[in-house]
Amino acid sequence: MTLLTWIFDSLLGLSLLWLAWRALACPNLFKAIVLFVAFGLLMALAWVRLAAPDVALAEAAIGAGLTGALLMAALAKLHPTEAHNDFAVPPEKNVTKVWSWQWLPAITILLVTTGLGYVVLSLPPYATGLSTEVAANLEISGASNPVTAVLLNFRGYDTLLEIVVLLLALLGVWSLNSADLDHKAAPGIVLDTLARLLTPIFILVAAYLLWVGAHAPGGAFQAGAVLGAAGVLLLLAGWRPRTGLMALPLRLVLVIGPAIFVIVAMLTLLIAGQMLEYPPTQAGALILILETAATVSIGVTLAALFLGGDPRKNNRNKNHT
Amino acid sequence: MQPLYLALALFLLLNLGAGMWRVLRGPTAADRMLAAQLFGTTAVAILLLLAQATANAALRDIALVFALLATMTAVAFVRRAWPNREANHESK
Repeated sequence: MTLLTWIFDSLLGLSLLWLAWRALACPNLFKAIVLFVAFGLLMALAWVRLAAPDVALAEAAIGAGLTGALLMAALAKLHPTEAHNDFAVPPEKNVTKVWSWQWLPAITILLVTTGLGYVVLSLPPYATGLSTEVAANLEISGASNPVTAVLLNFRGYDTLLEIVVLLLALLGVWSLNSADLDHKAAPGIVLDTLARLLTPIFILVAAYLLWVGAHAPGGAFQAGAVLGAAGVLLLLAGWRPRTGLMALPLRLVLVIGPAIFVIVAMLTLLIAGQMLEYPPTQAGALILILETAATVSIGVTLAALFLGGDPRKNNRNKNHT
Repeated sequence: MQPLYLALALFLLLNLGAGMWRVLRGPTAADRMLAAQLFGTTAVAILLLLAQATANAALRDIALVFALLATMTAVAFVRRAWPNREANHESK
């Protein structure tokens, strides 16, 4: 059995390295995306083998699912005409490589790799880190899953900033482009039915992941990613939200997660004297409220990212023309 | 039963290697995409086997998320990356 796991793990590790190399070196962008999706799948398996199912769940939801769709949409926007040549026949052009300047990043990467290798090798062979302290304080954290306890309670500050980072990414996208809010042509009955059938299931699974996060792998980011996937599926099926919803309601939903987080942070600062230090009796309820708001915000932010532009700008342009 | 599950998982992982050949060779984008979909299905099966072998129920949730989100990659491919045949016919 140990031999089997050993073979499995080494095969997994080697395929990961090989996939990463092929995805980076591939001149055909579509092929690179497919390789990247495959890399995400195997990476999630690697996290499972490393006994980190929480990370595997996040990798499955974001790395293998949403990023693939985002990259594909980006590719379609990159060259709408060139794409056709790419798809119909395999051109297999000989891309002349420019090697003259490539030594600079190569040296940087080599240095970073050497440094990382040194750090990894100089680690003590066995260390508990902070896991014993987490385990000791798990009872007052309000969650029985140590990862949720760390993310939402012990290091709630980090999670607050992470959610804000997602919002900032959306603001960046909005400042660059305006969204196309026109209804797309009917995509055909298969896709329409699929979207109708799957959207409720996506929402159900998101709610399940949110709820299960208290005592098992799951939580706001994973649930938000699944919710965002439901939004992306609807957008791909040609659904567009009503323009009335795109102004204030959308913005309110986008900020509700960070806003509730900040409110809780300020309240705990006033009452307990320490930011995001929950009273142990209410910690469970507070974490659930924070995670629910964060899930909704993350889901809508991811779907809005896929829309790829400021929906209000489009509205304004239309009114002018 | 445990060695059997692990052996099956290993066999499926080797299958991924065969799928990789299709990703690299193509020749069309659809071949590559379908190979990626095969990867998704195989990963779901591997996760379910590992869940059984290591008695870790959380892995089934990961398999569930995989199964759901693989659909989305396929839909994104059809809608965004695959050239619209009907539109081509109209223009011709």
